Amino acid sequence: MSKTEYVSPEGLRLDGRRPMEMRQLRAEIGTVAKANGSAVFEMGNTKVIAAVYGPREVQNRSQLINDHALVRCEYSMANFSTGDRMRKPKGDRRSTEISLVIRQTMEACILTHLMPRSQIDIFVQVLQADGGTRSACINAATLALADAGIPMRDIVTSCSAGYLNSTPLLDLNYIEDSAGGPDVTVGILPKLDKVTLLQMDAKLPVDIFENVMGLAIEGCKAVANYIREVLLENTKQLEFRRGL
Amino acid sequence: MGLPNASGDLSTEVEVDAFRRLFPLRFFEKHLLESIRPDARPLGRARDTTIALGAVASANGSALAKIGSTTMLAAIKMEVMAPSMETPDEGCIAIDFHMPPICSPIVRPGRPAEAAPVVAKQLSDTILSSGMINLKELSLVSGKAAWMAYLDIYCLDADGALFDAALLAAVAAFSHLEIPVVSLNDDGKIVLSEEQGLSEREPVNKEKRKVNLGSIPFSLTCILHKNYILTDPTAEEESIMETSVTVVLDSSSQLVSLYKPGGAVLAYTSAIQDCIALTRQRVKELQKILEEAISGMEVD
Repeated sequence: MSKTEYVSPEGLRLDGRRPMEMRQLRAEIGTVAKANGSAVFEMGNTKVIAAVYGPREVQNRSQLINDHALVRCEYSMANFSTGDRMRKPKGDRRSTEISLVIRQTMEACILTHLMPRSQIDIFVQVLQADGGTRSACINAATLALADAGIPMRDIVTSCSAGYLNSTPLLDLNYIEDSAGGPDVTVGILPKLDKVTLLQMDAKLPVDIFENVMGLAIEGCKAVANYIREVLLENTKQLEFRRGL
Repeated sequence: MGLPNASGDLSTEVEVDAFRRLFPLRFFEKHLLESIRPDARPLGRARDTTIALGAVASANGSALAKIGSTTMLAAIKMEVMAPSMETPDEGCIAIDFHMPPICSPIVRPGRPAEAAPVVAKQLSDTILSSGMINLKELSLVSGKAAWMAYLDIYCLDADGALFDAALLAAVAAFSHLEIPVVSLNDDGKIVLSEEQGLSEREPVNKEKRKVNLGSIPFSLTCILHKNYILTDPTAEEESIMETSVTVVLDSSSQLVSLYKPGGAVLAYTSAIQDCIALTRQRVKELQKILEEAISGMEVD
């Protein structure tokens, strides 16, 4: 069993980052003209596009809820998003699971009781996958919901962290993720300081887990700062265009 | 505006947006009388078109094409496969067109868009019959190994003229395509050789090369309504006036494909010839845009 060095003795990871360093973030709002709200979110090489349609009329009458809005989410990956071409980009187990996770995460923060008998659709499409797609999707969905003007309790931001070569690492890419070490994904509401999503796989001692989760939460807060900047810039642009 | 209409002239009393939703056909006809469209385009002008090559870093060739708001992302991935018995020295191209739910409010998960398989078939027929790619170029070892090029086109925003944008994205992706270097390993299997200077294995093809493109097809969709010909319709225009004609010409102005799938308006041959003339102009514009995009990439 070869021991690949994920953290070099000088403390650099495979892509040259420090263990506590996130990948470069880039976000753009309003990319899909036809959608009520849309956003593109990039974390390093992972690129995700999210579109929100709603609140609109419920398409399936039997699912109508009288006192709050129905939230639906679909996650799908483009055929060319991963290294080898994917045969079944949606409908497979992983995509269904991630769709469910994103829906429940966003449902927790949308003020659904303000929009009864209506439906909010969140569609996320992964264009390039390099680890952390779940987090990038949640961040993109938050931006798209904000762009659509849907009332929310707080923004939701997400980030992943892992533990390889006895070092906690922030924001894993695909190679680090497939190394077989633990992978903790956290989603928080930054202002309220509450955790809405927490997923982990592989074994990890509890005290190290607290460390790694703390690191992921720091990452989430950094993403939240960036998202707030982007939203503020977008609002200034809108004000400018309106001549205010 | 002294237009006689049966249900009373509400146009002066109702707000513009409401009139547009309630009486879409009359709204458009009022504009057509002045030879203009609601987005201020003259009847014969197409929307702003842009191409960006290399949009997907992980694919062998990719491009993002936008015509107005309609956005298409095309990416090509190459895989090695065994060629068929009838054509041992030809590769293969598989073309797939997807309309994910993000592109339009009409597309629902579980209910794929009606337009998607239609455009996919049109694209497949046009690209394969235009002779743009010589399949013999995709061969590696005759009879044993050949390239299979998977072209996937995703519609990210559907605002009319889907086939035009998809064809443009596909053609741009092929012009960006670089065939990776492979070599034959000891089991007789083809493997991707990533490092330079592998002395034990002889590379089957010496270096990453671009595909030689023959004559490149370009298209233009027009809508026929009474005596008017509107080029490059938006989704709103397409939904109201359903008769469309798609003409595909190649760079040497030869007709590659003509598609008029029925429709309420019956066209005289003169109308079709007008469409072909409009397409000829558009081909020149598109050629220029594609060349600029390619030369922009080559600077680095």
